[in-house]
Amino acid sequence: MSVSTPALPAARIRAALASRRTRYGLLTALPVVIYLLVLFVYPILGTLALSLKDEQGGFTLHWYADTLTGINLSVLLTTLRISAETALASLVLGFLLAYAVSRMRPLFAALAMVLVVAPHFVSALVRTYGWIILLGDYGVLNEAMQAVHLPGAPYQLLYNEIGVVIGTTYVMLPYTVLLLYGVMRGVDRRLLAAAASMGAGRLVIFRRIYLPLVAPGLASAGLLSFILSLGYYVTPRLMGGPNQTMIASLIEQQVTKDYRWNGAAAQGVVLLLITFAGLLLLKVVGSLGASAKQRSNS
Amino acid sequence: MTDLGVATPTVAGAGDKPAAATGKSLSVVALRKTYGPMVAVEDASMEIAAGEFVTFLGSSGSGKTTTLMMIAGFVEPDSGTITVGGRDVTRLDPQKRNLGFVFQQYLLFPHMTVAENIAFPLQLRGVPKDEIRRRVFETLDLVGLSGFGNRKPRQLSGGQQQRVALCRALVYRPPVILMDEPLGALDKKLRDQLQTEIKKIQRELGLTVIYVTHDQEEALVLSDRIAVMRDGRIDQFGTPRELFERPRTPFVADFLGAANFLSGRVEHHTDEHTLVRLDTGGLLRARQHALAKGAPVSVAVQPGRLDVCAPADAFCSGTVQSVTYVGTLVRVVVNVGANCSIRLEVSARNAPQVGERVGITADPDNINLFAAESAG
Ligand SMILES: Nc1ncnc2c1ncn2[C@@H]1O[C@H](COP(=O)(O)OP(=O)(O)OP(=O)(O)O)[C@@H](O)[C@H]1O
Ligand SMILES: [Mg+2]
Repeated sequence: MSVSTPALPAARIRAALASRRTRYGLLTALPVVIYLLVLFVYPILGTLALSLKDEQGGFTLHWYADTLTGINLSVLLTTLRISAETALASLVLGFLLAYAVSRMRPLFAALAMVLVVAPHFVSALVRTYGWIILLGDYGVLNEAMQAVHLPGAPYQLLYNEIGVVIGTTYVMLPYTVLLLYGVMRGVDRRLLAAAASMGAGRLVIFRRIYLPLVAPGLASAGLLSFILSLGYYVTPRLMGGPNQTMIASLIEQQVTKDYRWNGAAAQGVVLLLITFAGLLLLKVVGSLGASAKQRSNS
Repeated sequence: MTDLGVATPTVAGAGDKPAAATGKSLSVVALRKTYGPMVAVEDASMEIAAGEFVTFLGSSGSGKTTTLMMIAGFVEPDSGTITVGGRDVTRLDPQKRNLGFVFQQYLLFPHMTVAENIAFPLQLRGVPKDEIRRRVFETLDLVGLSGFGNRKPRQLSGGQQQRVALCRALVYRPPVILMDEPLGALDKKLRDQLQTEIKKIQRELGLTVIYVTHDQEEALVLSDRIAVMRDGRIDQFGTPRELFERPRTPFVADFLGAANFLSGRVEHHTDEHTLVRLDTGGLLRARQHALAKGAPVSVAVQPGRLDVCAPADAFCSGTVQSVTYVGTLVRVVVNVGANCSIRLEVSARNAPQVGERVGITADPDNINLFAAESAG
């Protein structure tokens, strides 16, 4: 707070650097900064450079053009589509689950949260095979549905988009539930009572009071699962068919089978850019949510 | 019958005609609420007529909010019944009771503007848009907040939020409005002004209002009747005058009248009076009370009902300790014995001097006696 008058940015930065606290802060941050530079920034810059080079080492945009056309484009679109479906499904399920948990007594709520989160300490591979056992033609689910003579059973629940989305949604669920649970616990229930006192029915209260109050949380949870889904690799490979190839698998294939490092790099950069755009949006939504929270606390 | 809240938009229409008595009677019988071992409200009963202004007066934690919440339907009573306009609503959901509620904590909807907050109950009742706009504007104007309609609640001060909360309950003119310290956060001037407005609206529309406060002056100004609450019980329910002149318990005498308390024993009864021998020695003449001869009593008399006189005519006397001028009245403290002083409010013309020896007298009719056991 030493600079009270609006100063030039340069002057302000110099003033900030002069402060002992800032210098001390920079010093303690140094190990992390170096760590990130070596293991994060350098490889990304390397990837970027790779994606812009042709076979002779000259500059080209060929790989990007390649990424955004033909089969590569359709894989990219599949990735976006599956991510969106996952975000939607985990949002709906997560909302119901989080709502139920937020209405429980604290002890039961804690237990329920453990139940939701615990499976995710198990390796992704094991979990995925668990689903394959459950969802197969002769899996528990289809057997059960056949036993009660559900028309159309057995259903094809594996090696198609349904299978992939079931798997990815399951992975995303703890994130959305945790996020939404936090937001829901923050809603002042007395506001709902206030609406009821004016004669609002349950549906109106839900639509006009509750939903707007948790909306920022819904938006961030949805975006978060979308972003995290973009990089899925194991689940679509094991639970999807050829039409569910996602971009991470494509990159892997190009590197390990086709040795097309430059193409893989360009796809990686595109994926990264989409992720960054999502994160940016998340931040915007997050700050909106923060101000909403401030409001309901006032 | 238009008493069904949401489903019947006619309720709002009915409120449009001023001077039509829209209030409803309300009765509460033997209401009780406990939280674990704690008894929050015990045996609360009262009959409130349509169009009556009733205040719950009591210190913090005496069960005022809890009683109000039970009437509104937010807290389920352990036992007892609540009837609004002759209809038993004890087990009815809050949204079906068609009451208005002003919450102690305002509870404005944070995601709506001030105007949207106030419009909300009108929208629920299907009031046309133009009329909503007009009524929101009128109501905001009434509480001195015109021009604040587009703000969000968080951009208002506590007192402003409280006024919006008041608007939100008044705007749809429910037949019964429950208000939990709706003016608690306001300064004296604004509070006086809004008291007048609330009273005016209530009178004009004939609304039934139950009002909670711990400010006795506010209760006296507004109420047709006051229920004095203590430790979850209603000590007395009556007109301000009844409470003031005929308090049923020492607590009521103290809480409303800030009474002086003296102790003594019943000496004997005459045809019209009960005579009490005070511990300070004097003989006090009080109006007739049904108390046994020799029974220990507690004497309560309000400062304004006492006067100074010659020591010879007094029921007790002492030296004047302090004299404070408050306008046309003076507050006098007279020391009448070891650690015992009496507060008086007398006309400034009769003001004694500090250090002067004076007697104290009172009209026997203004003296209340309580059996000493209940003088806890
Ligand atoms: N939800 C609750 N759980 C447990 N005890 C409660 C609850 N609500 C109220 N109480 C208790 O019941 C008693 C009455 O509370 P209430 O809120 O009705 O008091 P009040 O008269 O409105 O006080 P104030 O003037 O401070 O608002 C208090 O002792 C309070 O601690
Ligand atoms: Mg209260």
